[in-house]
Order: sequence, then structure tokens, then C-alpha cells
Amino acid sequence: MKGGFIIFLIRRIINAIVTIFLLIVLLFILLHIIAPNPLTLAKIYSGNPHPTYAQLLVVEKEYGLNKPLYVQIITYIWNLLHGNLGEDPIYKVPVINLLSKYIPRTLEITIPATILSVIMGLISGAIAASNRGKGLDYFLRGVYLVTWASPTFLIATVFQLAVAYYLKLLPPYGIVNPALTPPPNTTGFPLLNALLAGDWPYFISVLRHMILPVVSLAVANFGIVTRISRASMLVNMNADYAKLSLMKGLSRRKVVYGVVLRNASIPIVTLIALLFGSSMAGSVAVEDIFQYHGMGWFITNSLLNLDYVGIISTTIIVAISVITANLIADIMYGILDPRVRVIG
Amino acid sequence: MASVKDYKTILKMLVKEPAGLTGLIIVSAFLIWSLIQGSLELISIYTKNPKYSYMLLPHNPFAINPALALHPPTLAYLMGTNGEGEDILSRILYAIPRDAFVAIVVVFSSIVIGAVIGILSGYIGGWLDEIFMRITDAFLSLPALILVIAISVPLKANYFGVILGLSIVWWPTYARLFRGQVLEVKNADYVLSASIYNISKIRLFYKYIFLNVIDPILAYATLDLGNVILTYSTLAFIGIGVTPPIPELGAMASNGLSGLPEAWWWPLFPGLTILLIVMGFSLLGDRIQEILMGEVMY
Repeated sequence: MKGGFIIFLIRRIINAIVTIFLLIVLLFILLHIIAPNPLTLAKIYSGNPHPTYAQLLVVEKEYGLNKPLYVQIITYIWNLLHGNLGEDPIYKVPVINLLSKYIPRTLEITIPATILSVIMGLISGAIAASNRGKGLDYFLRGVYLVTWASPTFLIATVFQLAVAYYLKLLPPYGIVNPALTPPPNTTGFPLLNALLAGDWPYFISVLRHMILPVVSLAVANFGIVTRISRASMLVNMNADYAKLSLMKGLSRRKVVYGVVLRNASIPIVTLIALLFGSSMAGSVAVEDIFQYHGMGWFITNSLLNLDYVGIISTTIIVAISVITANLIADIMYGILDPRVRVIG
Repeated sequence: MASVKDYKTILKMLVKEPAGLTGLIIVSAFLIWSLIQGSLELISIYTKNPKYSYMLLPHNPFAINPALALHPPTLAYLMGTNGEGEDILSRILYAIPRDAFVAIVVVFSSIVIGAVIGILSGYIGGWLDEIFMRITDAFLSLPALILVIAISVPLKANYFGVILGLSIVWWPTYARLFRGQVLEVKNADYVLSASIYNISKIRLFYKYIFLNVIDPILAYATLDLGNVILTYSTLAFIGIGVTPPIPELGAMASNGLSGLPEAWWWPLFPGLTILLIVMGFSLLGDRIQEILMGEVMY
């Protein structure tokens, strides 16, 4: 069986790599089909509204826009493999510098949000399932319906309004209190930086600024987890092993929240990557509302500037992180439920 | 599995239950209003008389009135006014048909593209299946929102650009669904016996495969109309697909942030409208799925 697992692992890794490359190729083809004429780009990238023909050629050459599409794709992938994503035409610095500043900040809110939504969803799903048909079940189903149907920006706005503006419990926007001096940037993650430097005031400030974005993203996602975990709980509660544990004399509470919940949470594992992806997407709106300068904010900003290079690089990095999350979820699923490896 | 023709039975079962009935009422109200308001807007464009486009609205959605700016909700202005004194309720009602149009066009084109790719992939199999499904996977691996943003940059992202962008990225789920359904029916006796007779491939696909697999996909599509509206409103929120001064729900919510913390009605009412519409589609889609297949997909 051990060999089976390694084959399963290798197959999944190859699959993930193929998907990433295919996505890059597709993005380039799509962008090429609908691309604006190089003149527009030249105007923006050279910062000159009336570029001369010579300037146009310079911009075309600099960004490789004059080469055939397949050359552009191969060059891009070759550079990507060497960690080089090109120079950002608006900020005139390597894109990788911008991304290494913005992406960690976004991961710092999307990863906790994913974990939080899974925990909240599993618990509320279990409570709903064990109270099936009672008032609490209907209430929780109502809550997940509402959060699921809410646009993320509505949830974030309500939290900002209620918690930050009316109750004044947390700061309404920003990443950290700007009056504090940042600790040395060792990891890229503001929270970790503060922790490594032992800078507690900074650490607490970052933490306080993180709470609302994290909770907004988690609430936006928790509905789908509740729904799946409730369904999965109901199936498992009727399974023979659950009946057997009851007959053996375990209390209903122990059976539901101990034995059944553990088995019922397996399907949620496949959902984690999806949740992470939707947190990444949701953070575009959330970062806008909380003025949290991460990847989402960078995307919105690049969009306004027509910063082609910035957007495509961010998209590819998001793709790589979502696909990696998918891969991890697959592997975890394989460990938790060995039957998957055979089907793989 | 029920057939589409049994719509009367499905309707009866829907109405019997509070959740299904609520969904049906919200969705019908949304679609009927979109049709009425949308036609009035077309008439006003055709006759070049803007009066028609807001004859059913409580106020003129474009009437800028600084004296009335940030007026809180009252009987005259049920949802208050925005920073320029425009009536928010009128602007929401004016914006709704645009959302309906996006949702219907995107879901319809996704069903068409998904049907072609999914049926071919499932029916023919082999290397074609492999190529189609790899492409589908690549699209599915990224959240639709991010992908639309990426391809919206060069589109300069106007209203029709967003519809095009969403249609380009929205079909993969449908391709997957069609493929799965086709794999189930392709070896059924009636498909095999139909393929022995000398009927055209297109007729075979349409009559013996498409019509037999479409039910669960339509149930999913009902739910999905809400998802398109959610994604579209988020795109509008960050400024894609919006042409000022034409009102758009997501864009109104985004502009409304500048009125916080006092003018809470400005960002909240457009957001709540989206919530209500999406909830309607979700309730309706769930119940249709339950009636057709006896269970909810998730």
C-alpha cells in the first residue's frame, strides 16, 4: 500500500504542475486575443500620452510585445522558473519585489480565515445535524443561507460599521497603527516579523487590524462548510459504526461530537482548497474596504493603472498558491481515507 | 428523474413548501421587474426620451440634488439618498435589469459551451476527453473572480466586456456536469439503440443525450444565476464593468463606503438587495434540485 501512496503522490504533483503551465498558456492566449493595441500600452507604460513611433518601438521591445505569442509564453515561463516575473511598468521595479511585499499580507488573513471558517462550519454543522428538524437546525440553516448569499463586501461593511465605527472595539482600517516603527522585515509577514523581533506593541496592533478582515472572510465562507458538514454528519450518524458505539454505551453527546464528527469532517478536507481560493478572491473586496494593502488592494490598483504585468503576475501567483492548496488537500485526503489512493 | 415537461408538478411541489415559495416569489419579482424596467429603458433609448425609463420609479435616479444629500431613509426616500442627493431606492430599481441580463447571458452561454465540450468529452472520450478536461481543470483551479479580473484589464472592462469575460471563465463547471451526466447515460440501451439507426450525430446528441441529462443541470443553473450576480457585483464593487453615472449595485455599495460611518444606508441597501436576490435563487435552486433528484447536491 505504501508504494500505492507514492504513485498517488507523484501523479497528483505532476497534475498540479501541468495545470499551472496550462493556466499560464491559456492566460497568454486569452490576453493575446483580447489585448489592446500596443499603442495604448506604450502610452501608459512610457507615461507619455503622445508617444512617438520610436518610443513605441522601445516599449514594444522592452516588454516583448513585438515577438510572436509562443515566444512570449516560453520567455515568460523560462523567467518564471528563475523567479523573474519581469519589471512592473508602472512602479518601475521588479514585480517580484511588489508581490513579496503584498502576497504575504494577504496570506496572513486568508489562511487564518480558511481555518476559522472550517472550525466554525464544522461545529455549526454538527450542532444543526444533531438537532435536526428542531428550531436550532432551522436557525443555523437560515444563518448559512444568509451568509452564503451575501456578497463578501456586504459582510465586511457590516462588520466595519458595527464593530469598528459604532462599538469602537477595533480599528476600522489599515494594517497596523502607522505611528509604530516596523520591526526589521525578516519574513515578509508583518505578524511574524513583530514576533521574531519581540516587538509586542507592533504585534498586537497588527493582530487587532487583522481581526475584522479575517472574520469577514471566514463568515463569508462558513455557510458552505456548515452545509456540507451537516449533510455529512447526518449520513454518518445513521452509519452502523455510530449505532454500535451507542449500543456499547457511549453517551449520545460523545458519539456525535467525538466519533461521528471526526469521520464526517473528511469531506471538508477537499473543500479546504476551494475555501482558500474563495478567501483569496474575497480578499479583493475585503482589502478594499479595510484599506488593507495586500494582494487584493494591489490587484485593484493595477487594474486602475492598466498594469498588465502586475495583474498577470498576481494571477499566476494566486493560481500557484490555490493549486498548491489543492494538492495539499488531496494528499491529506489520501492519508485520511486510503480508499481514494486506489481510485486516484 | 422527472422530465422538464412535468413543470406543473414541479411548480405544485415548490409552492407547497415555505422555502420554495419564498424563492419563487423573490426570483419572479426580480425577473418580472427586470423585464418591465428593461423594456422601459429600451423604449426610452429608442424614443430618445429619458422620461420613460423612470416613470415607474419613485424618483428620477439621476436627479442630483445637493440640498437632499445624505438624507436618511424616510417615507419619501425609503432607502435614503446618496452623497449627491440621488434617491437610492430608485437607483437600485434602475440597476436591477442589468444584473438580470448579465446572469442570464452568462449562464445561458455557459450551458451552451459546457454542453458542447462536456458531451463531446464524455461521449468520445480518449485524448479529446483528456485535453478538454485538462483545460477545464485549469480554469477551475482559479477563482472565477480572479480570472475575470486578469482578462478584464485589456478589455478596459466595460459592461459588455465583463459579460464576455464572465462567459469565458464560467463554463467549466457546466462542462464537468455534462460530462458526468453523459458518462452515466452513454451506455444506456436507448442511446445505443438510437445510435444503431441511421440518425445524424447532432440529432443523437440533442434528442437522446442532451434532453436526458439537462434536468439536474437546469436545477444547478437556477442556483448559479445567483452566483453570477454575486461575482458580477463584486467586479462592479472594485470598479470593473461600471459606466458612471449609470447605477450598478456593487458600485453603489463601493461608493457608499465614503459615507461611513454616518450614512449607513448608502452602502448597505444596495448590498442587501444583492443578498435578497441571490438568496431567492439559492432557495429556488435547492428546492428544484430536491424535487428532481430527491436530494440537495451539497
